[in-house]
Amino acid sequence: MLATLIHPRVLTALALLVAGAGLSITAWQGPESAMLVPRIVLTIWCVMALAILVGELIRQAPRQRTAKAPRARSPLPLLMAAVLIAAVATASLGFLIPVLPLVALTLWLFRIRRPLPLVLGTIVIGGGLWFLFHHVLMIRLPALLTNGVI
Amino acid sequence: MDVILAAVGDAFTWQALLAIVIGTWAGIIIGGLPGLGSVVGLTIFLPFTFGMDVITSMALLIGVYCGSVYGGSITAILINTPGTPQSAATTFDGYPMTQQGRVDEALGWATFASFFGGVLSCVLLIFCAPQLAKFAVNFGSIEVFALVCLAMLCIVGISRGSLLKGLVCGMMGFFFSMVGSDPITGADRFTFGTYALSSGLDLIPVVVGAFALSEVFVRFSSRDEEATTIPEARLRFPGLRDIGRRLIELVRGSFIGSFVGALPGTGAAAAAFISYAAAQKLSPRRANLGKGEPDGIIASESSNNAVTGSAFIPTLALGIPGDVVTAMMMGAMVIHGITPGVRLMQDQAQTVYALFVVLIIVNVAMLVLSKPSIGLFRYLFKLPLGFVMGGIVMFSFIGAVSVRGNPLDLVVAALTGILAYVLRRGGYPLAPLVIGMVLGPALESSLRRGLLISRGDFLSFFTHSGIATTLFVLIGLFLIWTVTAGVLEWRARAATRRKAASAQPVSE
Repeated sequence: MLATLIHPRVLTALALLVAGAGLSITAWQGPESAMLVPRIVLTIWCVMALAILVGELIRQAPRQRTAKAPRARSPLPLLMAAVLIAAVATASLGFLIPVLPLVALTLWLFRIRRPLPLVLGTIVIGGGLWFLFHHVLMIRLPALLTNGVI
Repeated sequence: MDVILAAVGDAFTWQALLAIVIGTWAGIIIGGLPGLGSVVGLTIFLPFTFGMDVITSMALLIGVYCGSVYGGSITAILINTPGTPQSAATTFDGYPMTQQGRVDEALGWATFASFFGGVLSCVLLIFCAPQLAKFAVNFGSIEVFALVCLAMLCIVGISRGSLLKGLVCGMMGFFFSMVGSDPITGADRFTFGTYALSSGLDLIPVVVGAFALSEVFVRFSSRDEEATTIPEARLRFPGLRDIGRRLIELVRGSFIGSFVGALPGTGAAAAAFISYAAAQKLSPRRANLGKGEPDGIIASESSNNAVTGSAFIPTLALGIPGDVVTAMMMGAMVIHGITPGVRLMQDQAQTVYALFVVLIIVNVAMLVLSKPSIGLFRYLFKLPLGFVMGGIVMFSFIGAVSVRGNPLDLVVAALTGILAYVLRRGGYPLAPLVIGMVLGPALESSLRRGLLISRGDFLSFFTHSGIATTLFVLIGLFLIWTVTAGVLEWRARAATRRKAASAQPVSE
């Protein structure tokens, strides 16, 4: 039973149901007229998520006995965390400083590992595009300094 | 007639033609880069127009606008990442065709359908603009609500095989569109005390996260498999016989785009989804839709490019911009001395007709420039995968933050990217999420306003006007059709299974 519950598809359905239920509680506590449509939408969301969860549990139950081969640990969560950290850091550090290590990490994880292509790629893709948009095309990106230089 | 001839003369100056070539080519490139779309393109080029005359400046901006709407389809087909939200529906059949090794054909159909839709809508615009503007005025809140409900049915079609998952993603998209201030009362919803969320979630960061960033994650997680290769793209236009076979689909998509574009507050993304839904019901090859069928690309591309022409109807004739892009175009017109509104066709008819002629030239320029533009993308995608993915991450970040300048949009894009990756791995279709977010605001505000007009009586929606009744009847027919087709399909499958089961012992 536990093996069935920790299957990624079941966990996804469960997470959707929990999120929908949590948001529904917020919607039902909110003002009547502003929350009319969200209440309808979130109720449908919860019903659908519950149906999906039941379906996934039924589908996974016969499979739980099949042994799975051990999988190598993927560095994908590292890339996801880097994207999220860079996104959060932009508000306080400006655009350029967070994206340079992000671009370098992306290139590294996609196997651009020789120093010259890695450094050049980071400077051209990260720094070059930032300079093009921020300083040449004057599309103002978040800046560290109030004068907007970086 | 003299006015039209004089307008043709205005449009065929060397300055206007040069502006069209530069604007269209730049638009195609900008539209093709994930995250950057029409808004960013127009923002870049607007300051350049201040020193130009009216027609030249509008030629540059119209070129950027039309080019970017078409350009979004290139990356939608090549790497399953729509450059713009308007091209999200192109991924449904464009990317499967690429996976089947039919990328040249897919790009050819996308280009030709874009050209066809754009030109047909311009012709309609020239001859029917005043009549369409009068008809569009008849669309009040209740009629718009019925139209959006009709468009919502495409979630059912797109979610074939996983209807529940499609619906839950559609509801998620709806929910995203409801974050922020309530459009009627102004009360904050789902902001959880965060001031930055009061302005709501923008569509661009969500699309960037759902398609571009999640694609980077998917390609990273399968970087040892075949999925990581990006095909070499060339352009192969369809032959006359192929065009003849699919002419009805081309005309249907163009008409849907022209009609939807004429309604204020809808836009090219909604038109593409409505047209795709219509193709799912009416195309003779509908069984192949979603598996790499050119009809799907035609439905999406002909309609979203048809919107570029007809979106000028409410903007010019009524002074009502349909979306952010047309609002920016309207602002540019005002800067150059054109005041959109009901008197425009009488007061500045020559300028208006010159803009229509410019639109036609832009579509021809788009057809001519598509080949070198795709060639440029071919060279870009020849780079090692790491550089392409690094570029997509960077463009996604720039695109997400540049529209509103709000750093929170970057966080929204990153979180949507992670969520979309998890959903894709779980077999959830992402298109309904975007459909929900595109149509959500129109559905909610039209429903709420309609309820205010009818004093809370929802049943009176069905008899409010001839247009509303017709649209609700169409919805009913579509639902009956979908349920009947589903039951028949289920029975046919069951019969096949029974036949196979009874045939098994005999063959053994």
